Amino acid sequence: MSFFSIMSKVLNLSLIYASFRAATPIIYAALCASVTQQANILNIGTEGIMLIGAFTAVTVSYFTGSWILGVLCAMLAGVVIALIMAVGHIKFGADICGIGMGINMLALAITKFLLKAIYDVNGAFSSPQIKVIPKVSIPFLDNVPVIGTLLNNWSLTEWFAIILIIVLQFFIFKTVWGLRLRAVGQFPEAAKTAGIKVNAVKYRAMAISGLIGGLAGAHLSLGYSSQFIENMTSSRGFMGVAAMYFGGANPVKASIGCLLFGFADSIGARLQAYGLPSQFVLMMPYIVTIVVLAISMAAQLRSAKRRQSSLN
Amino acid sequence: MKKLIAATLLAGLCIVPATMAMAEEPIKVCIVYTGNLGDKSYNDSCHAGAEKAVEDFGIELKELEGGTADEWKANLLGACEEGYDLIIGASSNIADYITEYGPEYPDTKFAVIDTTVDLPNVESISFAQNQGSFLAGAAAALFTQKTDIEGVNEDHIIGWVGGMDIPVLHDFYTGYEQGAKYVDPDVQILQAFAGEWQNPLKGKELTLAQYDQGADIVMNVASGTGAGVLEGAAETGKYAIGVDLNQDNDQPGSVLTSMVKRVDNACYLVIQSVVDGTFEGGSTQYLDLAVGGVSLTDFSVMREALGDAFPEDIVEQIDELTEKIISGEIVVENYEGFGPQE
Repeated sequence: MSFFSIMSKVLNLSLIYASFRAATPIIYAALCASVTQQANILNIGTEGIMLIGAFTAVTVSYFTGSWILGVLCAMLAGVVIALIMAVGHIKFGADICGIGMGINMLALAITKFLLKAIYDVNGAFSSPQIKVIPKVSIPFLDNVPVIGTLLNNWSLTEWFAIILIIVLQFFIFKTVWGLRLRAVGQFPEAAKTAGIKVNAVKYRAMAISGLIGGLAGAHLSLGYSSQFIENMTSSRGFMGVAAMYFGGANPVKASIGCLLFGFADSIGARLQAYGLPSQFVLMMPYIVTIVVLAISMAAQLRSAKRRQSSLN
Repeated sequence: MKKLIAATLLAGLCIVPATMAMAEEPIKVCIVYTGNLGDKSYNDSCHAGAEKAVEDFGIELKELEGGTADEWKANLLGACEEGYDLIIGASSNIADYITEYGPEYPDTKFAVIDTTVDLPNVESISFAQNQGSFLAGAAAALFTQKTDIEGVNEDHIIGWVGGMDIPVLHDFYTGYEQGAKYVDPDVQILQAFAGEWQNPLKGKELTLAQYDQGADIVMNVASGTGAGVLEGAAETGKYAIGVDLNQDNDQPGSVLTSMVKRVDNACYLVIQSVVDGTFEGGSTQYLDLAVGGVSLTDFSVMREALGDAFPEDIVEQIDELTEKIISGEIVVENYEGFGPQE
């Protein structure tokens, strides 16, 4: 088989949607981490919030037969977990990384336990009674060649991810609320002096982060798949935090980082078929994570240096 | 005299229950899994065999699950220390630890399924998965030519998604490839590994990628990860092949057939050998197509789903190939280190 015919099989149109599909859960995670990072809270618990959200979504959808209720309850569960972290960190001054990792471990253990307690299964739970987030099919696009393949049959939460990126970008950088949020993150003393209730802003940021994290989990279990699997987040929360760093807590830039991961993942899935060692291919998203972080840190250091030299 | 009778009676009362208890002391068996139960595949099959043994022989059964290598090692060592009569390493992932620690517990009987460990207190049972996969590959290669079935394209491309990149999976793939090429030398096979046994999302993503690249039927050999392969088939209106257990009904109408590997029989037989006292350490059993260790399902679920469109000739050809393999007319190749061992 010639090189070109292989490349045309690897780099076809479906790769674009596949990249986005693989990136969406990470995008949600990155947004979840970005909101709190703006208030100078490193939400390392994103992974745990997502996992609990995923479990809640499946459970509620299974028992009520409504995906909407599933998604809403997942978001609610996300808020509860995020606020537990917030109280520990803001009120009692606990280290956020400690609480975050604690939440991650708790999420792993409690979902495993509940899986056994509620459904009496190990590892995974799936059922036809789980109602999933619908896919948006646009009938007239079926016959449009390129755009039809590209945009049809996306899950509703995949479309919503794009909206959420734009909305968050707008709120963080173009509104008074966003200005206050950033002020609290960058100069809490100055913000306090200006009459901003620093802690209230932080609590709110954590709550919003919880909403997004819960939604991320719901998308994972009801949109990206239709089941709950033990540890189904498999580090997507951490990759989201990495992407948040890459984008400097800027929703649009962080999402671009996520798309890079998604692209690495999807192209890897396609390249394996042509004899590339699976171990190497499975490493790719993580190599991309390291490279991307290194580049973004170098860029940030350089701009920080420039800012300093202009002050001198 | 009275005292003597009383003493004898008392002694008798003490001895009788003691000997009775000894006779009825159930045999304690522990199974160490690499992965979780509920995979509707390999592990569940092994579990079914063990459950049957519990019913038939009244053994005491303990099952330990674990997702990562350090858990497997800890579970195995824990089982060794507990003092079971028989410890079964359910998959080849556990073999290295049994090789390492088996000699330290010479009085414990070990069994390992799916690979061979050469120790005097270990019984090994492996399968001719290459023969079963040969049939699965042939079925897939024939199926991808049936362009009149909905979802089947013009290309002669079939797919294969594995769990972890370990030797036993290459034995599967060797047979799959040979079988597919046997019926259609021009067929192209896409291969991918998820790197995990418990990640259906990864399995689904790999399957969708293979469908995008022209495959219309993908075989999974991936335990829990395989659920994603079947889900991907159902979601896109394409097809898959199940493995280990009969998975035809997991996504009815999307699973052409399953390559059933009788892990349950292996598990049951080895427990039975300990119960009967015929356990032979250091021996190897090889369960192939001829003895029913591996086989394809009867296609009945797919036949019902497709109705008149179902290609009956595939079933006929598979039956023919089965006979040829059993008679030795077709010799299915093995991956290095597999196959019947003397």
